[in-house]
Amino acid sequence: MTDAIISVSGLAKSFGDRAALRDVSLTVPRGELLGLVGPNGAGKSTLLRTLIGLVRRTRGRVDVMGHDPATQSLAIRHRACYLPGETGVYHQMTGQQFLDFALGFYPRHWQELRARLQAAFELPLQRKVRTYSAGMKQKLAIMATLIPDVELYLLDEPDRALDASMRFFLRDVLLVCKNAGKTIVLSSHHLSEVETLADRLVFLLDGAFVPPERLAAARASLRRRPRVRLRAGASLPPGARELLREPDGTLVVSTDGDPMQWLRSVPDGVVESAEVGIPRLEDLYAVLLHDTAPGGSA
Amino acid sequence: MIASKTWREIRWIALAYLLILELLCIPVLLWWPDLYPELQRSTLLRNLNLGEFARRIGQGITSDDQDIAYSSWVALMLFLRSGNLVGIAAAVLLGTGVFARERENQTFEFLLSRPVSRGRILWHKVWPAALCVVVPLFLVNASAMYWSHVIGERLSPREMFLATTHASAFALAFLLLTTWVSVLLRVQAHVAAVVGAFAVLQLGLYLTQRIRPYTLFRLVDFDWYGPILAGNTRAWQMFDPIHGPGYTTWLLAGCVLCYGLAWRALNRAEP
Repeated sequence: MTDAIISVSGLAKSFGDRAALRDVSLTVPRGELLGLVGPNGAGKSTLLRTLIGLVRRTRGRVDVMGHDPATQSLAIRHRACYLPGETGVYHQMTGQQFLDFALGFYPRHWQELRARLQAAFELPLQRKVRTYSAGMKQKLAIMATLIPDVELYLLDEPDRALDASMRFFLRDVLLVCKNAGKTIVLSSHHLSEVETLADRLVFLLDGAFVPPERLAAARASLRRRPRVRLRAGASLPPGARELLREPDGTLVVSTDGDPMQWLRSVPDGVVESAEVGIPRLEDLYAVLLHDTAPGGSA
Repeated sequence: MIASKTWREIRWIALAYLLILELLCIPVLLWWPDLYPELQRSTLLRNLNLGEFARRIGQGITSDDQDIAYSSWVALMLFLRSGNLVGIAAAVLLGTGVFARERENQTFEFLLSRPVSRGRILWHKVWPAALCVVVPLFLVNASAMYWSHVIGERLSPREMFLATTHASAFALAFLLLTTWVSVLLRVQAHVAAVVGAFAVLQLGLYLTQRIRPYTLFRLVDFDWYGPILAGNTRAWQMFDPIHGPGYTTWLLAGCVLCYGLAWRALNRAEP
């Protein structure tokens, strides 16, 4: 089935004078895993909150599973589960009490996934949540969100506070959900991980989606900006300009032509290490933000 | 589920409130009129260790001497008035956490995103808190009938029930006012400060002779409880604002208004 489970057009949301979302349009087919990427304050959380009906839009049209979140959010919440960006767990409860409370709102649970999450997370469920670390609380919140057997999962930075191994495990779990036909909208700061997981990636910047062609241009521009680390005492060889010097001494440079060709032309003993073609999210932000500044070029 | 969670959160406050009320009731009924001079001489506070306290309660219970107690209904009026203040304190304490605590603990968004309507969330948070405010008042006033019987006085259950109903409506109005403010503000301390300041202001105005008739505490004054406890007020008169003051009706109307405002504010609330 490829019918749209989420359909958004011309969505705008303002908090007073500040526009959080500007003319956002989006269609998510059933069964898709959509990655939502963007810097802090870009509007990712506001978009997810609008979809689940927690905030009311200022303008535009939103349809989630045939319901308008502004007026029929309860119908949506019966069929969707939302993981807030701020870990919301009750500290005075034990882990088990919290799970019982959170899952008690949903009639059907995914027992197989529950067993898998419990085994991997190894949470001390009989202990009070207030004794948990930030990562443990996030794991508990993830369990409370993914175990209910619903059609749509809206996940706001689910990998926050998780270590690398747990992030990889979460990726596997989300793939299981996707393969079971669930629709997932996932916001994250980890570009490479979302990219490998998501069917499609959308980039939010300053409350609006970045057009795919602009994103492609930004990535192409980044590919011409290798990150190099020079040996002590060495200076940057000709054919490249220094754009940025990071605190650890790594240089972000702009090459006149193909960066690989430039690297090959650099004499031995000058460059200690180099990275080419691995776009980091913060670099992508920097390029896109530079593009939006007055006088910036796409 | 939300109601049982609310109950788990507030049960100890409710128990403390019940004990404080009972501890207020016993000395007021059994030690009046010795209470006031002893307080002035500070001997009561000086001697207030647990053993002494228990001994004096036992003495009061086993003595038939009328001098130990004042006329019960006067004493009880004093209790009901002090009960109002304790009731306000309990209502504010219970009400501040209803939603502001959820915001402070960052669970507000989690709660609102569950498949349950906001109206139900409000109702399941308010009714356990309301019971925690009201039930101790009825329990303690029922115990007051027992204590008064012990010292040879007799309190009528009917009058006690009517007076307690009125006192409950007053405490409930404060609980619902606090709940409304708790939906609007994000920090529990701010909620307590706003409602506490409102209560203190009302009390201050009540103590000012010329403004007194226009304050909230006028609704729970001696001249309202007096006729009720003396058996001169019929039940319908408490609720009839056309032919009499009908203060209870005004309090219940205040409850409905505050609940409505809380419901409206919660429906508009964004995390």
